[in-house]
Amino acid sequence: MRVALAALLAFVVVGAAAAQSHTTRATVYAAASLTDAFPAIAPQAHFSFAGSNALAAQIRQGAPADVFASANMKIPLGLYGDGFCSKPAVFTRNALVLIVPRKNRKHIDSVGDLKRKGIKLVIAAKGVPVGDYTLQVLEKLKLTSVLKNVVSRETDVREVLAKVALDEADAGFVYATDAKTVPKKVRVISIPPRGRANVEYGICVVLASHDKPAGQAFVRRILGPAGQRILRSYGFLPRKP
Amino acid sequence: MRRLLLGTAVAAAATAALAFLVLPVAAIFLRVPPGKLIHQLSSPLVTDALIVSIKTSAIAQALILLFGTPLAYVLATRRFRGHSLLVTLVELPLVLPPAVAGLGLLALFGRSGLLGTSIPFTQTAVVLAVAFVASPLYIRQAIAAFEAVDPNLVAASRTLGAGPVRTFFRVVLPLSRGGLAAGEALAFARGLGEFGATIMFAGSLQGVTQTLPLAVYQAFAINLDTALAIGALLVVVSAVLLVVLKLVLSWQPSRRTSSFLFARST
Amino acid sequence: MATLSADFELPLRSFDLRLALDVERTVALVGPSGAGKSSVLRAIAGLVRPSGRIALDGEVWLDESTFRLPEDRRVGLVFQEYALFPHLTVERNVAFGGKARVGELLERFRISHLAHARPGELSGGERQRVALARALARDPGVLLLDEPLSALDAHTKDTVRLELQELLQSFDLPTLIVTHDYEDAAALAGTVGVLVEGELRQLGSPADLVSQPSDPFVASFTGANLLRGHVTSVEDGLTGVRLDTGEIVYSTDPALGEVGVVVYPWDVSIGRVHADDSALNLIHGEIGSLSRVGNRVRVRVGPVTAEVTTASAERLELAQGGVAVASFKATGTRLVPLAG
Repeated sequence: MRVALAALLAFVVVGAAAAQSHTTRATVYAAASLTDAFPAIAPQAHFSFAGSNALAAQIRQGAPADVFASANMKIPLGLYGDGFCSKPAVFTRNALVLIVPRKNRKHIDSVGDLKRKGIKLVIAAKGVPVGDYTLQVLEKLKLTSVLKNVVSRETDVREVLAKVALDEADAGFVYATDAKTVPKKVRVISIPPRGRANVEYGICVVLASHDKPAGQAFVRRILGPAGQRILRSYGFLPRKP
Repeated sequence: MRRLLLGTAVAAAATAALAFLVLPVAAIFLRVPPGKLIHQLSSPLVTDALIVSIKTSAIAQALILLFGTPLAYVLATRRFRGHSLLVTLVELPLVLPPAVAGLGLLALFGRSGLLGTSIPFTQTAVVLAVAFVASPLYIRQAIAAFEAVDPNLVAASRTLGAGPVRTFFRVVLPLSRGGLAAGEALAFARGLGEFGATIMFAGSLQGVTQTLPLAVYQAFAINLDTALAIGALLVVVSAVLLVVLKLVLSWQPSRRTSSFLFARST
Repeated sequence: MATLSADFELPLRSFDLRLALDVERTVALVGPSGAGKSSVLRAIAGLVRPSGRIALDGEVWLDESTFRLPEDRRVGLVFQEYALFPHLTVERNVAFGGKARVGELLERFRISHLAHARPGELSGGERQRVALARALARDPGVLLLDEPLSALDAHTKDTVRLELQELLQSFDLPTLIVTHDYEDAAALAGTVGVLVEGELRQLGSPADLVSQPSDPFVASFTGANLLRGHVTSVEDGLTGVRLDTGEIVYSTDPALGEVGVVVYPWDVSIGRVHADDSALNLIHGEIGSLSRVGNRVRVRVGPVTAEVTTASAERLELAQGGVAVASFKATGTRLVPLAG
């Protein structure tokens, strides 16, 4: 009995160590909003952060990723359907918020205020998950007329964040987790409940990967308690609502 | 035997270099059938980007020529304290990463910047970004072209009754035309391909600020064929530019005044 | 006849250029390179700004309160390498300064047949003619020539110099020529000035400069012999000088101490044996060199150079390496003081 326990312990330790060393080697393509959280979970993995759609396009062209983490399920499901990755799983959720610069010169307090003339609104481009979510939210709130005030469609969420943080744009739609990274520079305006979008992040292993064990180990780590805990500390929402 | 090996090595290296330069461009055209390519070109994304690119490029280059030429002439013909510093400053945008250039423009023209204008996110911003990154290419060439003009010719023109302005247009400009054209071609090409500073300072909005390079980037994430089509378009434009430049250069008259010290006798 | 008067000072790199000169007909300034000659022309043309006064008759081009720009001065400046516009045809070059007289000038300089040629296709002599025509098309009040013959090869030079002489005589314009070649200056101008380190050492007719050089430098520059020596005796109105090369010569000039003995080449006779006229100075020596200057020959015997006609040289069968006697009168010998 004691030998069995010791063997099991040893196995777990070795397995954990092995898992740890595996995740150090993985190459992970992840949505820009994961820029801070992912390296905290697996410091030695190699990361490439950008708009999820741009990353998916690169993977389709044969980019050497082991893992793909997207800010929606739509894109990884597309890759799965075309045979590029394994079946994706939801690993975390997020909330879309409206942000304004700290100064808030245009005195914006709600999504409705965005209709006003002369507001400079920055959102992400179509196809970028946060851009799609933004459109969803505006449709739900019946405020699509607000789109006339869009002055730029950025290629990822961090660019939207930057323009608002620099006080060059009057407002932008980002994830709550992004707003948390620059608390002194932006003010957050939450979306009314009836307008909220269901933001689910999907993760999958790239089938053309040369190091599937490393990729799988990384995914396990993200889905495991340690990874989930860290994600929550950055403001991400639990996997299951 | 050694010579044969050397010759083969040189030929192989040359072929590799040539292939490296030519094949990526050819590959663009080979990936998508021409019919599909042309079809993509009629999509609004592409036509809008083409119009934005042409408009902003034309205005930016006009500004570069208008302001850059006098600056280059002053730098080429006068020496004063701080001259080399000024030249270095003019060349600075060349070595700046485009994103940094964009940040700089934002820091100056941005709402929260030094001047506090409302230029960001407008087509004017695109023009400024293009002009900023491309002007050093023109100005450097222009300075070299003006410096190569024999100062005695300028002096002769003055003694023959032509003031500084007439001298510039009748003597200096015709003789430096080739160098100016070369510089302008470089600036135009650089401006057409400008991405980093534009996206940072002007953002990207179809029909307003989305230039061809910005459209390529967006298209890549959506539809590879569209991206290839835009890429092909840019290649064609650049190729046409190169040809036009060669033609202008081949007209250039000799710039030496008296090439022979001891000529054949009367 | 118009007069250009110039009286100005211009700091140059290693010295100050100071000039006071009136140009009525043709004046040539000679001097070694770097003496500031080209700067004189540039100052008169208005390409540089000295302090002083420059005026063409009543027109003041430069004084304390005035500075006329080059394009407003009626100057015709011909540059050393002609500075023809390479992108324009000959006709357009000439017409640059003024269209009115182009045809006439092309005719006069015999370049009508080159009207549509480009400067790059022309010979040196042709280019010079185009440059002159161009300068004159402006109808200038004064003509400035910078080293007009320097850019020509030796063979072309003689012909062109003659042509230029005739042209200048027919122009009737005040003309200022600068050159490093004294013979060119003497041939082309009635008045010659010697410019050394920014200073006009002497101004006079070519003959005066050679016959009465004011100092050794002028003497050597204007082609006279300058033999160095030391005064050893003064008696009966004759000064005896022992040359550094050892010979004793006599002069009717009074002097003491270190002197330069100036004798002009054409006052030196050459013979194979003692001449039997009353020349007092004799120098025996090896014939060091023979060089033709126009239709005369310069013969160097020992330290002194004689100038004889070609006919004489042939008659005496002078040849390098042979021995001869050079003789010259004491009265034809000048003495100039020399530094110790």
